[in-house]
Amino acid sequence: MKVNQVLHIFRKDIRHLWREIAASIALLVAFAWLDIRSWSRPYGAVATGISVLLSGEMLPGLVDFLLPVSWIFLIVRIVQGESLVGDRQFWVTRPYDWKQLLAAKALFVLAFVNLPFFLVDAFLLAYASFHPVHYIVGLLWLQLMWIFLLFVWLTALATVSNSIAQLLFALLLIVLDVIGASALSSIIQKSEFSASVNWWWGLFVTGVAVTVILVQYSRRRTALSRWLIVGLCALLTLISVASSRATPDRSSIVRQYPLSAGNEPVELGLMRNDKHEGQLIPIYNNEVLIDLPVSVSGISKDSFLRLDGTIVTLTTSNGFRWDSEWKANSDWLFPDQKTAHLGFQVKQNVFDQLRSGPVTADFFLAFTLYEDKRRQEFIVPNGEFRLPDTGLCKTENQYSRGIHCLAPLRKPAFLLVSSDKANSTCLPASSQTPAPRGVFLHEFVQGQPGPAEMGISPVRPFDIVFSDWDWSARRPVSPGICPGTPLTLSNPEVAGHRGVELQMNNVSLDEFRERNPAGP
Amino acid sequence: MTSAIQTDHLAKKFRRVEALQGLTLDVPQAAVYALVGPNGAGKTTAIKILMNIFRSSSGRAQVLGIDSSHIRGRHLESIGYVSENQEMPEWMTVGALLSYLRPFYPAWDHALEAALIKQFELPLDRKLRHLSRGMRMKAALASSLAYHPRLIVLDEPFTGLDPLVRDELIHGLLDRAEESTIFVSSHDLAEIETFASHVAYLEAGKLRFSEELSSLVERFREVELTFDVPPALPQPSPENWMQLSAAAAVVRFTESRFDPDRTTAEVRRVFPEPRNIAFSPMSLRSIFLAMAKSGRNSA
Repeated sequence: MKVNQVLHIFRKDIRHLWREIAASIALLVAFAWLDIRSWSRPYGAVATGISVLLSGEMLPGLVDFLLPVSWIFLIVRIVQGESLVGDRQFWVTRPYDWKQLLAAKALFVLAFVNLPFFLVDAFLLAYASFHPVHYIVGLLWLQLMWIFLLFVWLTALATVSNSIAQLLFALLLIVLDVIGASALSSIIQKSEFSASVNWWWGLFVTGVAVTVILVQYSRRRTALSRWLIVGLCALLTLISVASSRATPDRSSIVRQYPLSAGNEPVELGLMRNDKHEGQLIPIYNNEVLIDLPVSVSGISKDSFLRLDGTIVTLTTSNGFRWDSEWKANSDWLFPDQKTAHLGFQVKQNVFDQLRSGPVTADFFLAFTLYEDKRRQEFIVPNGEFRLPDTGLCKTENQYSRGIHCLAPLRKPAFLLVSSDKANSTCLPASSQTPAPRGVFLHEFVQGQPGPAEMGISPVRPFDIVFSDWDWSARRPVSPGICPGTPLTLSNPEVAGHRGVELQMNNVSLDEFRERNPAGP
Repeated sequence: MTSAIQTDHLAKKFRRVEALQGLTLDVPQAAVYALVGPNGAGKTTAIKILMNIFRSSSGRAQVLGIDSSHIRGRHLESIGYVSENQEMPEWMTVGALLSYLRPFYPAWDHALEAALIKQFELPLDRKLRHLSRGMRMKAALASSLAYHPRLIVLDEPFTGLDPLVRDELIHGLLDRAEESTIFVSSHDLAEIETFASHVAYLEAGKLRFSEELSSLVERFREVELTFDVPPALPQPSPENWMQLSAAAAVVRFTESRFDPDRTTAEVRRVFPEPRNIAFSPMSLRSIFLAMAKSGRNSA
């Protein structure tokens, strides 16, 4: 009778690795228990000193680390149970069908890694009052992410190594390669412009891992498979280093951020600084920091902007010219905002040449425009409540005076929470000065794209806390979100990219050296 | 198909080392074919190419009519393989190993399995890691014989085993000899001599000869000639005479193409007046030593 090798090998592997399976599942259960406990811990609630040990503060982190390690261990053990490396393996001279062998290994991983993981995640969602059936797609997506971002690659490495020690050594080499590439990139980087990673690169990388697995199981061509992995690492390193060196020219940036003369999304004007308050920030790393305060106006009421980057050109009256490279940024500009700051660094020797007289500063500012969609007013209630399109929340007054939320599978793709400072219903601290009306605070919550965020727990805790600076007390404060505080919620969407050119004449760089803030 | 195994100028190179050079041999069906040679001769390399564990650098090999580079999966249902350095699943008991392998082979014979367990006295409930070397080899052999393989390949199966265990293994093999071709490698000539029907000698990756053991033993003799006065040794000596030497009035050599009449006539032609001519049969070990020392190919 022809045997179903898949099930036969699968049963054998269970008999062989039942202890490892039990340990992995026990860790998963421990993770679930600790995760549930962590949901109620708000932002800022951190134990210190001996409390770290007494409260088991280290335990969640330890389990978070050990759980994937147990999966890695299980996957490596199952693959290397019928090792594909070497010439002494018992099974290579037995009538194994390689496709059925591979299927048996895949079945094992699905049954004892993915399935328990999936079930525990479904339980956690249910426990957090999110019905798992409504989030099936996200739960499956999470499993797929783990499979394609980790398990496939781990399996590929396990097929070209004949022991856990060898696999760990291979992992170490890969980590060193990544560190080296990163270090090299940061040394030779010419600009901060970073190209986005296309999805097909991920597909290519995964394709190589799958190819390695298939080559090993069908032909056991270990040398070829190892070279495939080395080649891929070398290619990725080369591309990473080359792209960090690449400086996009201005024309390509303008193509991405087209100018729209006469229809700029924002109007900016240089504000002269006659007061020179605050201490000059010292020169560091041979670079002088320049800070140009600008007035802001003209932003449409239902939109806001993110400054993605700037290019600055400084020209003196005698023709000396200095160009900065693309400088990445991430400042936000809102309709209620009156001022902003444009900052950049100049090498000291260049600064010394430019400071002697006034310069003309030409800015190219690259903005991403956002439209405020689905705006709704929301009054924070007492107790637990559902925040629309977000999750379950409650106010937290012990540590941060904000909102502590639990979201199913992912934080909102983009949630903007705004509030007039003066409308906070939290009792102000005695040293806090009352806030004037019309000054808005904004807090973003941005999640990863896709039906689920990468991670283990399907329940994503996050906090919404407004941050502000108390000038009189010279410290950060949170105006607070308490029951009764009115909020404006919206889900901004990208409406386009725009470039804005701005010229400022007769700028004295000495006047605009960056200083530590002295007060409003 | 008359040959169980055929190779044609099979070669294998590991970096700069030529482990096999132009190996051409033919293993008839139902033979007990011994591949012998010193350590490092290339015996294991040859076997691993036949079992598609290694890829050859050049040349071809066929096993049971199939190109050896295509041997995999279902082809292995007809081949049993036991090697001295094979990594067995140490965590399994003997019984678990046999139970696990059983479904892989459609021709598995439960009665034969039971007979082998009894013959080899295998402890079914003991883990393989707790078995002695000899017991482990017997377990491996039982798991490779129970399905009536057409070809049994053994790579140094007797290394490190005591004579009793060797005897048990040989008997276990010989019981299957009628239905299987046996291909065994060894550097233990004394054991091979007791059961092989064919022998091939491999040295430094090259095949020195390959023939039936009976004809090999038949054509080699130690020859001792006694004279009244010490004779002059012929220069050159006949090609088929190896290790020609003289001690006083006695001349000795190894004859590699022995025939009573022809050899006697040749002796008398070279040495006209020997007082006495004595022919003695040689063991396999003596034959190989003579060949190795003479550095000549007797084929």
